[in-house]
Amino acid sequence: MVLTLVLAPLLLVALAGVLQLGALRVAAARVRAAADLATLVAVNDQDDAELARSGALRLSADAVGVAREYFARELELSSSLLDGAADEIAASADIAAYPSAPAYDARTGARYDRPAVRIVADVPVRTPVFGALVLRPVTTIHVLVVSSPR
Amino acid sequence: MPLLFSILEFGSALERWLAQDAATVQAARYAGEIGGDAPELRRFLADELRAAGIDPDRVTIDVAPSRVGWREPVRVSLSSSYPLSIPFLFSTTVPLRSSAISRGEINR
Repeated sequence: MVLTLVLAPLLLVALAGVLQLGALRVAAARVRAAADLATLVAVNDQDDAELARSGALRLSADAVGVAREYFARELELSSSLLDGAADEIAASADIAAYPSAPAYDARTGARYDRPAVRIVADVPVRTPVFGALVLRPVTTIHVLVVSSPR
Repeated sequence: MPLLFSILEFGSALERWLAQDAATVQAARYAGEIGGDAPELRRFLADELRAAGIDPDRVTIDVAPSRVGWREPVRVSLSSSYPLSIPFLFSTTVPLRSSAISRGEINR
């Protein structure tokens, strides 16, 4: 009886923590997938004129805008998990396009040997159970994604 | 006992949600490549779900719009129910929903 009374609160806290950590894992996977799909969509759109003229892969001029638009669209699908509006989070993301290669990323120092689109974003997600357990009610997921066409 | 089973059952449900999400993202990418809904997309999704231990016959798939052209967005949504059973407490089903958007790559 005493053992049950002692263990029950601990197990309840463990259960709540498991649920919150699981939900956070789902949110992190979704944020990564959102950024991944957004950069893929952006690099798939090639500069057709340049491709026809020289055969070289070169990103479309609106690659950054496309990546931002699709990042917002993907985040919107998980809006219930986010602590903020999807379009505002996407608007604050650092998105850069490197239309021709080789190129150097001023932020990460990486060298790209193909045209690339890069997203760096901090995405705040709600973690109310952590908040109730005297931790942070909002957890920020940092994401860095780079895509290149082949 | 119920609390211990709850931890295992909810953990398993979240794992399945992650697997379903991953299959949805791959399917959205593929739907963009082939220009929307098609039997090969359904086959691809069934294989992905089966590989993740999910019965594809119990998953509802929606591709909207069913046919897209160049640069048009296509959305793939999956919906399923996870049977949750906690001994001595309750049994229920938890709805698991996943969606992803890609863009049509076929110039029709």
